[in-house]
Amino acid sequence: MNTIIIEGLSFSLPLFIIAIGGIYSEGSGITNLALEGLLGFGAFFGGLSYAILSRTFGGDPTVLIYASLGFAMVGGALLALLHALMCIKFKANQVISGVVINMLSVALTAFLANQINASFFGQPSNKFLLEVFPKATIPLLSRIPILGAVFTDFYTFELIIVVVALFMAYVLYKTPTGMHIRACGDNPHALAAAGGNVQKVRFWSVIASGALSGLGGMCFAYSISTTFSPNIYMGFGYLAIAAYIFGSWKIGPTFLACILFGFARSVGYVLVQKLSLPSSYGDLVLTLPYIVTLVLLLFFSSTNKPPRALGEVYDQAKR
Amino acid sequence: MLKRTSLIKRLFILCCGKGRHQLLRTSLFCIALSLLAGIILLLLLGKNPWEAYRSILQGAGILAKPRYAGRKSQLTDFMSLLNYTTPMVFAALSVAVALKCGIFNICVSGIMVFSGFMATVLVGYSNLDPFVAKILVVLIGALSGALLGMLIGYLKHRFNMNEVVVAIMLNYIISYVVSFFIQTRFIDPITRQSVAVTQNARLTLFDYPVGSLKMEIALVFPLAILAVFAIKFVLDRTRFGFELKAVGSNSKASNYAGIQVGRAVVFTMIISGALAGLAGVSYYLGSNASIQPRVLPSLGFDAIAVALLGNTSAIGSFFASLLVMIFDCGTTYMSSRMQVLREIAALITSILLLFSAIGIFFRNLADRFQQEAEEV
Amino acid sequence: MENLVEFRHITKRFPGIVANDDISLSVRKGEILAILGENGAGKSTLMSMLFGMYTPDEGEIFIRGKAEHITSPLVANELNIGMVHQHFMLVENQTITENIIMGIEPKKRKFGLFPIVDLQSSHEKVQQLSMHYHLEVNPRDTIEDVPVSTRQRVEILKMLYRNAEILIFDEPTAVLTPQEIESLLLIIKSLRDSGKTIILITHKLDEIKKIADRCAILCKGRLIDVLEVATTSVQHMSALMVGRDVSLTLDKVEHEKGAEVLKVENVSVVSQDHITLVDSVSFSVHEGEILAIAGVSGNGQVEIADAIAGLIPIKSGRILLQGNDITTASVRKRIEAGLSYIPEDRHAVGLILDFNLRENLCLKQYYRSPYSNERGILQHDAMNELGNTLIEAFDIRTSKGNDTLVRSMSGGNQQKAIIAREINLDSKLIMFVQPTRGLDVGAIEAIHTRINSLRSEGKAILLISLELDEVLQLADTILVMYNGKVQTIRKANELTKLQVGEYMMGVHVEKN
Repeated sequence: MNTIIIEGLSFSLPLFIIAIGGIYSEGSGITNLALEGLLGFGAFFGGLSYAILSRTFGGDPTVLIYASLGFAMVGGALLALLHALMCIKFKANQVISGVVINMLSVALTAFLANQINASFFGQPSNKFLLEVFPKATIPLLSRIPILGAVFTDFYTFELIIVVVALFMAYVLYKTPTGMHIRACGDNPHALAAAGGNVQKVRFWSVIASGALSGLGGMCFAYSISTTFSPNIYMGFGYLAIAAYIFGSWKIGPTFLACILFGFARSVGYVLVQKLSLPSSYGDLVLTLPYIVTLVLLLFFSSTNKPPRALGEVYDQAKR
Repeated sequence: MLKRTSLIKRLFILCCGKGRHQLLRTSLFCIALSLLAGIILLLLLGKNPWEAYRSILQGAGILAKPRYAGRKSQLTDFMSLLNYTTPMVFAALSVAVALKCGIFNICVSGIMVFSGFMATVLVGYSNLDPFVAKILVVLIGALSGALLGMLIGYLKHRFNMNEVVVAIMLNYIISYVVSFFIQTRFIDPITRQSVAVTQNARLTLFDYPVGSLKMEIALVFPLAILAVFAIKFVLDRTRFGFELKAVGSNSKASNYAGIQVGRAVVFTMIISGALAGLAGVSYYLGSNASIQPRVLPSLGFDAIAVALLGNTSAIGSFFASLLVMIFDCGTTYMSSRMQVLREIAALITSILLLFSAIGIFFRNLADRFQQEAEEV
Repeated sequence: MENLVEFRHITKRFPGIVANDDISLSVRKGEILAILGENGAGKSTLMSMLFGMYTPDEGEIFIRGKAEHITSPLVANELNIGMVHQHFMLVENQTITENIIMGIEPKKRKFGLFPIVDLQSSHEKVQQLSMHYHLEVNPRDTIEDVPVSTRQRVEILKMLYRNAEILIFDEPTAVLTPQEIESLLLIIKSLRDSGKTIILITHKLDEIKKIADRCAILCKGRLIDVLEVATTSVQHMSALMVGRDVSLTLDKVEHEKGAEVLKVENVSVVSQDHITLVDSVSFSVHEGEILAIAGVSGNGQVEIADAIAGLIPIKSGRILLQGNDITTASVRKRIEAGLSYIPEDRHAVGLILDFNLRENLCLKQYYRSPYSNERGILQHDAMNELGNTLIEAFDIRTSKGNDTLVRSMSGGNQQKAIIAREINLDSKLIMFVQPTRGLDVGAIEAIHTRINSLRSEGKAILLISLELDEVLQLADTILVMYNGKVQTIRKANELTKLQVGEYMMGVHVEKN
């Protein structure tokens, strides 16, 4: 039972922070299918920075581990810059741009990972090795029956994610900036008439989605395989999209959706173990979140309400 | 007051401005830009871009290599190119047809895995007469793809489910479920892939002796060409094609005009799915002979690039497929000759797609430059 | 009286068009100045520059005697200029208060640390403001829950909240009932009386006559004249607006109604959110009769037309066309049974903009012989011939004939194409929804003449229009809708304009 909670949370929380990134971008009106590429590129950047820093400085890996999280956010933001430019400045079709960015990320990270490993580290490899991420347990709270597992044996990045998530929720719902972001997604002309700069707000929302996705991607890299490799692209970015579609583009319900997905996975794995099934059954378990998504979409698609101006190119002349 | 438009602007107008074949010229412009990007990339790696591009063409059989292994020649390289191009043509047509109806079919990879798996399991391990086996493979491929396409179309029409999200979910579900079955029943422990299909079921003849050479013959390549012309005919000259394009352009107006939108969507997805299914069997039982578990073929996603590059037209998709596969096939040879990573092909393809995606921006910009030039 | 605002030689160009051509105009403090002109005359553009949404290409704007560069709405706000737009600039998923304070949100610190928007005090301020100006609203309501007239009040409150002295109203009465229009005009008058200066952009001559002091007339981007309203006749203003004398009446021949063509029996339409849009409506239209449905926008009229055409499902009731029950028939069957429909939204519904003219003209017939053969192959020659015939018969102006991309055609020509297509179907029943919206007076005249001649040919015509004058001019029978219910069905010559207005507000209810 404890495993379910611990494993579930370590998947749900990185997924959640990526989903928040999606909410920011789409909440401002820019369709963002590129979360998959953004998380991958962030993980690549973080992994690369870790590899470089650990070789240059050596010493205590813990500092570098946390630093790599920061670099991952930078990496995600960099790739998101491209999506922002394509959609806002070049007025490209936002769905296509998202898919393009995903493909570019896969190709670019594969190429660069191979190239950098070969040229600079002198070894043929397409991975960056990382250290195991530190875990922690809160002494008193972890003793609470059942719920105590939440505070037991968790990666410290989960704590970081919770803090960042709370901050992003606060910004989106309580500050003028957040109000403007949400206004852009509903009726950008309203913001323009009030003197706001629609392009700027959307631009930074997309950048934010990149940074958050990068953070989530790096956390996945640590928790799943302790490496960055081309296998980081496992469709979690798309799962995050599914999560915020359930959550109706609101942070609170999206959190619940992420918990559902994470726990669906961990329950599945535990079942496979308990029933002593061969490990290939794990593949079937991995389908659970996707099947759940499809089923729920089936019933809720008609009542879904995306932001009104989502995907529309903002044209100043059209009033 | 006279104002001379700068040379760059005039060149740009020439490439992307209004006039005959604006779409074609813009596509060529995007290709030129990405080749330029490739040149810069190669220079950064310290390689000679001219040599590199020449090697790519040699590897693809368009130009002659300096020397050939026994029983190989430029013709065999070219036949090999056609072999690899076949699945891409089907996949690009699949995406293009769906796009013409306003649907993004991002499930091509998943459908490929599904149809490839079904054909492998049902016919791939049998001992049927080669002629019968191959025909069955093609039929199963098209049918299983059509079924999945119908599902996606129906879900979109009846339940208003966003087809992009549905497609992505299906991709992963199919990938994992097929992987599960392969690993529990059809696994080849040495290759870690599914057991190779028997020769009689393969759609490509390998090492087929023709004269003094041994080459690959893609038996379904003519079918791909046929598909291109068939799709073109349907879109341009038939009632159904008219309805398909109408719904893709404006579904509300189409409904108002009496066109049955749901039927158009479902039928379009059936066709798109069937094409993706054919891509799947020509990939997994043609240019390859087994399925790698848990891997979604990147071909399904590259096909989006290709369809966009070909301006979602049937003929355009064919030539764009050829171009991209020349790159893909030729890069193996280039990579070994010039010590450049194989991955550069995927990178240049992605850059090409990037430029294709902002093609509309290029056209609008050229229109604006043209208008400014005309006003002064 | 000082000039509060002065436009000096203002010129503004957009790609392909000169929206404002060397306009010099001044606005006196404390007056109500009307800006009159047809669609596309340049009224909105001129005032948008005053509000900082655009900047002039040439010329200068002087506020209170000083030259100002109004580069954004924020700058305009600082100069105490406010604008109520024709299409409300409101965020639907936010509250009235949030919309009003957008851009100038007051902040307070939670726990002394985190800056958050101070919604509480904002709600109170908005409440006070709304009561002071008699524009009562509930600040905590979300915009999507609130009716159109309230939304307009929010727009006005947005200006007043920012201490606007110069208030610009862009076509404010387009979405209001006659009674709501009356109360808005009173509000505008009282705003002027409390010291504000008002600029009213409109094409409604009677409103100008009611409250404006002066009237500036624009035509095709140029300023024609500025007149004292009290001493100028409506005819003169109209003539200047159009550039020629316009006949404001139509020659209608009285004749007998023929056989019943359309019968609507107790039809009800319910929306997806279970709101009743059309409530048990019954009426019929005969050969040679124009039945006009009048009502304020959003009271169910368009839904009736859509329901008859088969575009939306009905919850209960029956629809009969020439005796055939088409209640559950498909859209195509209804067209084949004798129905033509000129819809409200030219772009989104009536035409496929990315198709060429030939394809659009054949849009409802492409599947039949001679445009298609038995095997489903399109016959391009027949389609071409149809296109050429219609282009000539209906005087559709194009650059490339049949091959013209409809998107590049003007609004008037697009409407001609739709009308050509629908009339070519030779249906017994023709439905028009807002057929003259956005067209200039010349085009309006042409369409009215055509509707009249269709009537003479014995067609049954259902006309849905928000323009009361159009309704009164054309209709044989008038049906008024309010809240989805029929208020009255009477012969046109038995009703006055004021009476129709009262029915539109639901003042009288008749038990039919």
